[in-house]
Amino acid sequence: MNRSDKQNDQRLNFELKTVLETSRMLVESRNSTFIMNNLLLIIMGRLLVTKAAIFISDPVTGKYTLKKQKGFGNTGGGIEGIEIITNEEQKERSFFSGKELPETFPVKLDDPDNSHLFNLRTNNNHHGFLLLGAKANRQPFSKNELEFVEGLCIISTAALVNSQLFNELKNTYRNLDRRIHELNTLFDLSKEFNLLVDREKISRIFKFALLGQLFIRTFILIFNNQDELTVLASSGLAKEPSAKKVKDIFTTIDSEVLLPDEEFKKNHPWIARNEIAALFSISIQNEKVAVIGVGERANKVPFSEADFNFLKSLANLAVISIQKTYFLEERIDKERMEEELSIAKSIQQGLLPDPIPEVQGVDLAAKTISSREVGGDYFDVARTPDGNTIFSIADVTGKGVPAALLMANLQSMLHVLLPVEVTLSEATERINNIIFKNTPSDKFITFFWAKYLGTHKILQYVNAGHNPPLLLRNNENEFEELSDGGLLLGAMESIMPYQQSDVQLNPGDLLVCYTDGVNEAMAPHDMEEFGEKRLMKCIINNREKSSADILDAIVDEVKNFSGHKLADDLTLLIIKALD
Amino acid sequence: MKNFKIDHRITNGFEVLDLYGELDAHTASQLEDALKELINNKKSTIIVNFRELDYIASAGLGVFMAYIEDVRSIGGDIKLTNMNDKVYNVFDLLGFPTLYDIFRDEEEAVEKFLNEIK
Repeated sequence: MNRSDKQNDQRLNFELKTVLETSRMLVESRNSTFIMNNLLLIIMGRLLVTKAAIFISDPVTGKYTLKKQKGFGNTGGGIEGIEIITNEEQKERSFFSGKELPETFPVKLDDPDNSHLFNLRTNNNHHGFLLLGAKANRQPFSKNELEFVEGLCIISTAALVNSQLFNELKNTYRNLDRRIHELNTLFDLSKEFNLLVDREKISRIFKFALLGQLFIRTFILIFNNQDELTVLASSGLAKEPSAKKVKDIFTTIDSEVLLPDEEFKKNHPWIARNEIAALFSISIQNEKVAVIGVGERANKVPFSEADFNFLKSLANLAVISIQKTYFLEERIDKERMEEELSIAKSIQQGLLPDPIPEVQGVDLAAKTISSREVGGDYFDVARTPDGNTIFSIADVTGKGVPAALLMANLQSMLHVLLPVEVTLSEATERINNIIFKNTPSDKFITFFWAKYLGTHKILQYVNAGHNPPLLLRNNENEFEELSDGGLLLGAMESIMPYQQSDVQLNPGDLLVCYTDGVNEAMAPHDMEEFGEKRLMKCIINNREKSSADILDAIVDEVKNFSGHKLADDLTLLIIKALD
Repeated sequence: MKNFKIDHRITNGFEVLDLYGELDAHTASQLEDALKELINNKKSTIIVNFRELDYIASAGLGVFMAYIEDVRSIGGDIKLTNMNDKVYNVFDLLGFPTLYDIFRDEEEAVEKFLNEIK
């Protein structure tokens, strides 16, 4: 073996070793910058080349991007759309000369003849070119050197493709991981929300989950419950919006997703000031129930479609759960109200005489039926200290709780005045003045009361605007109306005294006192009232019966007439004089 | 499910919150309360040690997002330390390392705070 052969062998050995070491290093590396950098440095070092660059092909356009270069000065990387090949066949060769480059090639070569473009390929796939400038000593590349570069190019390209695949996989895996995490969050929260009835807690958890998952700092949740807008949760706002702004934001967002542009921000400066990057409207059954605003991501990475989908899914879960809490509250409120009303009803019933006291010389029956839980009708039968009896019947304007309160008030006044030695007329005047002073001007009471003097069988009465009680004398078929008295109670202060009248009650005489729930009961379909005529006819038809039976007969007929739907309270007080 | 718990101690003058168990939607408000209390007392150099934390949900991460600005605006920071791989992976996945100092060990967080104060 001669000296030059030996030298050759040694060099070959050295180069093989380099290729081997490089290949190991490259295959292990998953960093494309590192791989390209190494390819350039090794070749430039070994072959004493001062200029080298790597171009990667874009398979779609057939053009190239400058990925990395050394020795070309400040050209930098990233120049795109470079034309390199003039002929497809160049992609098949291991390398071709720099003088074959097209004129458009952006980098000036000092010595195109001695410059080469090496194919970066794997099996049959072309990935790009390695451009090598001329050697520093202007010598052409030897055969060995060319083979060395070819070998390194093959290894490096394989490593590049590997790293690319690896990074794609890594990205895919990371995205998958994110999606899994999102699904876990949705799953956890749907369980959590189901257990909660506290909407503030639901809103807070929703807020934290969004802040964490989307990596945002700014958040606002506006909820609409029966046209009442509430900011249920917020974070990172410069200032909580006023009620007016809340309304403005809520009503403006009419699309599912709104990304505020400059125009929008100009019209809604609050959105700009708080750096709201996206707004969402959440609807349940076509009704907008919530608007959600979020700021941009803390690392400025724009939101993706997947992020929006996650937000919408989570928002739907939260909003439905929040709505549930409102429904629950309404139900509880309603139940409590019903319970209170039923207590009120029993209190009110306690204000009526029970049982109806027996009054010597008369057959007495009285009853009130409320259209609601509590009502404004009132009757009373009470003994006075002088051994006589007071009968009364009254109707407060309106229905329900307000009417019941006023009725209770009247009841207490009446009982306070019972033992006082005043005439019915004077007592009526006092009651009127107190009610006028203490109640709103639209609240009145129609009131009839009478004092029955048992020994003389005389009924003294005052009628303050009440439906005149009907008196049917024994053996008569015409009714007398007891209408003497004065103005209804509470309308104005008494100017004139209430007129008090006496009627003699003879055996068999029948007096029917009633409230407008009787005569004004409506037939279900036509607008016809029950009326006095039907009432009178009913009384005449049943006149032989006891007071209690007459009362039942009237109630039955009114109920039948109105289809068993009483719109108003109904009260009857019936007095029949006995032998 | 392991119970979530927070211990509070002071190391080198810095507030340290030790988290135990699972920080999820349900327990996130406890962490919120603990951070709020520190902030209200103007304690703003906070280290959260995750050594004994087994699991963290997005809502748990959200609490840090909600209070980091408050803490930084009064001149402090929240530094996170000693996460197990599973917990760190969640923070990493959602981008947190760009906004928060996350250290392997509490010592490093203490050192960073000491350097920042200098």
